[in-house]
Amino acid sequence: MLTWIICLPLLAALLLTLVPRQNTSVIRTIAIGITAADMLLALGLFFAFDAAPALDGYKFVQRVPWIPSLGISYYVGVDGINLGLVVMGAIVAFAAACVSSEIKSHQKEFHILLLVMTGGILGAFASLDLFFFYCFHEFALVPTFIMIGLWGSGEKKNYATFQITIYLTIGALLALAGLILLYLQRPVGERTFDIVRMTRYFAENPIRAADQNLIFALLLFGFGILVSLFPFHTWAPLGYGVAPTATAMLHAGVLKKFGLYGLIRIALPMLPEGAKAWVPVLAWLCLGNILYCGWVAMRQKDLNLLIGNSSVAHVGFAFLGIASLDLIGVTGAVLVMVAHGFLAALSFGLSGYLFHATGTRDMTRLGGLLQQLPFIGTALVMALLAGCGVPGFANFVGELLVMFGAWKGSYSPHPHFYVAAVAWGGLVVAALYALRAIRHLLHGPTTEIAGEAQDATVWRRVPFVLLLASLICLGVFPRLLTDKIKASAEATLKFDSGKRPSPGLSVTAINPARK
Amino acid sequence: MLHEKLPWIILLLPLVAAVAITLFTQRDGRFSAQLSIGAVALAFIASVLLFAISLPQLADTARLSYLRVNWLEATGLKITLAWRVDRLSLLMLLIVTGVGGLIHLYSYGYMAEDRSRSRYFAGLSFFTFSMLGIVLADNFVVMFMFWELVGLSSYLLIGHWYAKESAADACKKAFLTNRLGDFGFLLGILLIWGITNHLDFDAVRGWLKLHPSGIGALASLAGFLIFCGAMGKSAQFPLHVWLPDAMEGPTPVSALIHAATMVAAGVYMLCRVFFLFEIPQAWPEWLSFLNGWTALDLVALSGGITALLAALIAVQQDDIKRILAYSTLSQLGYMVMAVGLAGPGAAMYHLTTHAFFKALLFLGAGSVIYALHHEQDIWRMGGLKQKMPATWWTFLLATLALCGVPPFSGFFSKDEILALAAQRHVGYFVLATLVAALTTFYMSRLFFVAFLGKPRSESAGHAHESPKVMTVPLMLLAIPSVFAGFFGINTFLERHFHPGEAISHLSIAEEMFAPFAHAPIAALLGLAAVAFGFSAAYALYANAEKDPLPEKLGLLSRAMRNRFYFDEIYSGLIRITHELLAQLADWFDRWIVAGLMVRGLHGTTELVGRGLRLVQTGNLQTYAFIVAAGVALVLYIFLR
Repeated sequence: MLTWIICLPLLAALLLTLVPRQNTSVIRTIAIGITAADMLLALGLFFAFDAAPALDGYKFVQRVPWIPSLGISYYVGVDGINLGLVVMGAIVAFAAACVSSEIKSHQKEFHILLLVMTGGILGAFASLDLFFFYCFHEFALVPTFIMIGLWGSGEKKNYATFQITIYLTIGALLALAGLILLYLQRPVGERTFDIVRMTRYFAENPIRAADQNLIFALLLFGFGILVSLFPFHTWAPLGYGVAPTATAMLHAGVLKKFGLYGLIRIALPMLPEGAKAWVPVLAWLCLGNILYCGWVAMRQKDLNLLIGNSSVAHVGFAFLGIASLDLIGVTGAVLVMVAHGFLAALSFGLSGYLFHATGTRDMTRLGGLLQQLPFIGTALVMALLAGCGVPGFANFVGELLVMFGAWKGSYSPHPHFYVAAVAWGGLVVAALYALRAIRHLLHGPTTEIAGEAQDATVWRRVPFVLLLASLICLGVFPRLLTDKIKASAEATLKFDSGKRPSPGLSVTAINPARK
Repeated sequence: MLHEKLPWIILLLPLVAAVAITLFTQRDGRFSAQLSIGAVALAFIASVLLFAISLPQLADTARLSYLRVNWLEATGLKITLAWRVDRLSLLMLLIVTGVGGLIHLYSYGYMAEDRSRSRYFAGLSFFTFSMLGIVLADNFVVMFMFWELVGLSSYLLIGHWYAKESAADACKKAFLTNRLGDFGFLLGILLIWGITNHLDFDAVRGWLKLHPSGIGALASLAGFLIFCGAMGKSAQFPLHVWLPDAMEGPTPVSALIHAATMVAAGVYMLCRVFFLFEIPQAWPEWLSFLNGWTALDLVALSGGITALLAALIAVQQDDIKRILAYSTLSQLGYMVMAVGLAGPGAAMYHLTTHAFFKALLFLGAGSVIYALHHEQDIWRMGGLKQKMPATWWTFLLATLALCGVPPFSGFFSKDEILALAAQRHVGYFVLATLVAALTTFYMSRLFFVAFLGKPRSESAGHAHESPKVMTVPLMLLAIPSVFAGFFGINTFLERHFHPGEAISHLSIAEEMFAPFAHAPIAALLGLAAVAFGFSAAYALYANAEKDPLPEKLGLLSRAMRNRFYFDEIYSGLIRITHELLAQLADWFDRWIVAGLMVRGLHGTTELVGRGLRLVQTGNLQTYAFIVAAGVALVLYIFLR
């Protein structure tokens, strides 16, 4: 089933190469139909998850040895941590296929790339083999560059493409170096790319602390660059600003989570000492993401840049959840990843719609859109409010869990300082830029430019409704996902929480005896 | 069992209505309105039922258990949706669904011609749902969630006419100011959880009972942070600035949110978690300059300042809704002050009576505004007594209640606060008495100018009484506004806050004179303040054509009219903090991170590329030379 989910888009891409390029409606039908089928399969996977039998903690496992001498095999499976990502990826891919009607030239190539990207992303999340994990990611990454370079818009297109390519390539290379070093840690003959076995092995035979520190740093910054960790974030807002809508949705929503997923799946369980050494740094960088990028977002006049910066700010929560070295925090981080995937896709999708409806993304030139576009306007209000942590949306639950986890985390002698700063960023700064955007774009009298815009037809509402429904569903019933995350996080991650120092804001705090 | 599910039914009815309206009945405003009114009416009936079922079983503070749902679980953290049914929440349920229901009904007439009536009623229902959530919450996080939802729904309702610039600005301001308070609230919750490991109210309370000084040096800070939440929702100084602007919303919204319910949430929450303020107080070292103050002292101070400040500002406002808004602020200050003076019972009592008469005042003002085609300046009204008798009568009764004239309800509840202040701190007593005098003064001014005298504008001359659907709620609200002093609300609450103590039951006649028997000085001085305020207003405003005060007070009047310049100071503060930080960050991002570092990298790469291009000439001789040089170098290294 999992293999079908991964291969369906790739097979469809192959199929598309055979379709004549003039038949755009056939191309669109195939792309939308296949991603829809993929989404339904993924949802089926989600609802069958609880009842399915588990092997080493993973379900729907499939394994085909490929190069035994190097220990490489095609090995896929899901547990609570990547299940949500796979489902989210499939839903976002369908939404991205839906909004790709905006592409007016070379539709065939665009849709092929889109499907390849989808297959790559889903493959990367489902892989339990390091080799495939990395290769699937590259498979998804390269189409991104091409799509931005060829179908992008805006004056800075070339610069942005150049920047995003350099950054992401460097990030991927750093991570690759870290992964290879990790692979080499096992003695010759025993070496394997099997993530499950590697995790078990390194738990029993810990790597030397110095090596752990080095590898963790490579993974942290390599994966970090892929996820726009401060101060390596500038590619993101600019790149998403010029990218075609579907690409921005898929990359910001799904592909970007690869780095975070790598940190949780590989770095945390295999390199616990390295994690302890590096998380104080990571905690500081999170503040850069959440507060600093929040402030940058406040100043943006272009809607896409605002969404891009706020998206950079949001991944800060996932980083903080990882940095907390606490199960509550990691659970929150995974939830933030899934929630942010839906949210980023929704926001970029809506922004793309507005751009095509009004011809501009300049917020100072727009206004009163809520009257003109009741549906799109309402959806945008909801997206922006979800971004500033309003309960009822999944983002709130994720951010709440991250803050709870970070409050008790042992990553720093002053965890409360970070949480206070992050709460300020999430509650106040995020509200400042979100409400400003609503005020400029949607409220107030309708401007001339906005007056001619048309609201979405029923069919074009489908992707937005779907994404919003997913956000609300997880926001109201978070246990749909958190219960699964919790079980898997407890099984794979061991934080020595028993020995952590008692929290307290001051030296004079009296710490009572605790049970 | 039905009654175990009753809290769920009460809570979810308005939510169902809100969702149904949003999804299905957007086009049919009339039906949406009926749906919303029906839901809140059913919720009211269910609340009465719940009240009747629970009351005999409620032994003082004990509470009944209801269907619980695990909402969220992570390792070491569990958040349960459980509803708390005790005297406090039962009383609030009746207020929210009862007063709220009447306001829903009134809106049916007031918003009859609005194009987006469906959106309005969906917002109203959603707000009711969120508010009921706060009332029923039995857990800090659950309360925080509904707290946020109330902020959100008030944002949507204040911004109902979002196409108007002022309304769009007002809703944004309300939300952001609330967020500032919520920031403190969330930190307070985390602080308490971090130490006690509990989130349920009863569990935290039980833990604190076992370890009275368990929170240690952070005790006062925890209390203060929690109070920050109340400061935002109940619009207490220094976060009071959003409430007057929120009057940009439709008038029934002002009545519902900014008089009877949402702003009361802060006071209610303080009463709900009052046990947090009863533990030994201490500040951490870095806040040692606060030593000697308890968290409650700060609460009382904030409330006292708000009460006085808002009453002073109200004296010089001309917009009928703004006068009422500042009056609300001032009365909320009273309640918060009462909590700060360790009298949560008195605060809740005043909250209850205030909900009745202030909702009535707002709805009366709405009726006037409706009749005068959205005229809100009291100096363009006048002579409405004859034209709008029902509005006039009910407004008069509510004004008397607000001023604290016996035997109206406000007299009893205000007297409890005055008596409490007299007992605790003479300074607060003087302040409270002064505020009482000011209250009577500005309310009498409003009444003289708007309802008596001659019509001062054409629209005032042509005013007509509002339709029945609006005047009937006014009359219904007038009943508790007058008689709530005799309902025994205070003894009902006493048994919640002081369980086990013998409480004497008084007959109505005894109840009437109880304030004079209990704390005669406070009661008499309170009455004197009313008399003083009224005679001053009578001397200045009976038959006045324009406001004589600006000439008499000069600069002070200007300051009052400009609301003591708080808005200007705050926007300045925001400009020098967040705007500046945002500008700095943006500049840094553009020029340092993206500019120097990225372009620098770009530049060096290009430089290396150019350097390498020099080597790559395509000239065979050069290549041969380079190869030879390389070989020589390698040989040199190895043979050395």
